[in-house]
Parts: sequence; structure tokens; C-alpha cells
Amino acid sequence: MKYSLVLVALLSALSLSAEQSASNTIGTNNEIAVNEMQKKGVSSDKTCQCNDVQNVTDKSEPVLKKNNTMLISVVGQGVAPMNTASPAQAYALAKRAAVADAYRLIAEKVKGVRIDGQDLIKNMMVKRSTVRTSVSAMVRNANVVETTFKEGLCEVEMEIVISHAQFK
Amino acid sequence: MRSRNGNSYFSRTVQVTLLLLYSFALQADEYLISYRYLVKDTILYNETLQISKAMQKCSGYPHKYLILETRDDKNLKEIINQNNQEFIEYLHKLGLNVVHNSKTSNYQYSETTILTLKTSCFKVDFNDNSVKISALK
Repeated sequence: MKYSLVLVALLSALSLSAEQSASNTIGTNNEIAVNEMQKKGVSSDKTCQCNDVQNVTDKSEPVLKKNNTMLISVVGQGVAPMNTASPAQAYALAKRAAVADAYRLIAEKVKGVRIDGQDLIKNMMVKRSTVRTSVSAMVRNANVVETTFKEGLCEVEMEIVISHAQFK
Repeated sequence: MRSRNGNSYFSRTVQVTLLLLYSFALQADEYLISYRYLVKDTILYNETLQISKAMQKCSGYPHKYLILETRDDKNLKEIINQNNQEFIEYLHKLGLNVVHNSKTSNYQYSETTILTLKTSCFKVDFNDNSVKISALK
């Protein structure tokens, strides 16, 4: 019994000393790293910035994982044409345009955008600069969450739930 | 044993009956619908909804339906005109093809978005006070 108690005490003392040595080595490693940075002319402030950058990269956009779903929310905008028969017609047309814009935004978020750029330079001067973007997709099961109409501008908030299985 | 004439009479009767049943069912049931609109610089143009009766029987099974209220009306175009908003929301739910193109030339931006429902077959059941429209998949 006595021997077993002594053995337990010895083991706990050993584990404590091992933990202390590990923390000391981490601390010395950090000190070595900071010293090396200072030798290279990098201040400690810059090392903090590096840590911040690392934190920003950790907070990346959500990714659709296997067996998961993701909610995508967009706000589309539409304007009524000038020559409408009534305010009601203006509202209906603006809403339809806003829905189309929201569908386009969903397609852009899910499928991505094809971009094509062209610059024409003549006699060392830019004559024409053109950027073209295009999206083509099939969108179904999108829901209108909220519609607002203020000063001729209609805004439609739309949501769509996409699942990983849809992209197999 | 039956004679040849007797057999042909029987088979013709069956054929005619089937043809009549088939044609009556076709008249009552299936419609072809297409929908398209264009949005240029956030303004809507050329919204078109085409509805016509199917001349041939459609394949597929009904999967999503919409029920519209009517007053014993059998004309689908009029029913849809009366419930235009509801029907177009239903078409959006079914899914539309989105084609978007934008152009920025010398810092001036213009864009065009076209939403299309390609011609699709719908099964339509006329009841006394309602119509059930189902998309065939």
C-alpha cells in the first residue's frame, strides 16, 4: 500500500515536470522566432499584423460540405418604366425586374461569372476599354422573402436553399 | 370458332372507342405553356406568356401543382389572366433559365437579363369551382 502511494506521488511529480519543460520550450521557440524577425529588421508590430492576416483567412466564406445544405440570400433591384398606365402597373413591372435581378444574383453566387476584358491601345493611349460579364443558369425553388417599393425602386429579397447532392 | 368478319368488327369497335376516349382526354387535359421576359438596365421589356392546347399527348407525370379558383369557367387563358400574379409566381417556382450579359465600355455600364421557361406541358383538371394545373416532368 505504502509503495503504491509513493509510486503515484512519483508519477504525478514526473508529469508536472514534463509539462513545465514543454511550456518552457514553446516560450523559448517564440523568443527565438521574435529574435530572428528582429535580426531581419521586421518589427514586432508586423508580426502582430501577420497574426491578424491569419485570423482573417481563418474567417473564410462558408463552404457547402457533403450532406449539408446552405442558405443563399440576395436582394434584387428593379425600376418601373416611365410610361406606365397606373402606379399599380409600375409596381408590378418594377417587382418583376427586381425578381429577375435577384435570380441573376443567385446564379452568379452559385455558378460564378464568366468575365471577358478587352483594351484597345493606340499611339500609347487607351482608345477603348471593354469588360463583358455573362452568367447562364437554371434557378428553381427560390423564395421571395420581402418586397419593398420606395421612390420608384423596388427591392426584392430572395432566398434559396442549395444542397450538396444537387451538384453531384 | 369466330369468323374473320366478326373479329374485325370487334377490333374496329375497340379501336374507335379507344380513339374517342383518348381524344376526349387530350382535349380536357394537356396544355403547352411558355414564358419569357427581358430586363434591360433594370427595366422590364417583352413579357410574353404563350398558352396553347397540346396537339399530341405529353409524356411524364405531374409533380408540382397549382389550384386556381374559377366560376365554372373552362377557358384556361381567361382563368390565368384573372390569376396572373399567382400563376407567374408558380412558374418562377418551377424554375426559369437565367441568361445575363453585361457590358462596361468606356466606363458606361449596361446589362441585359433574360428569364425563360421553355415550352413545357401542363396537365389541367377543370373542376366546378377550381382548376388544378400540374407541371409534367
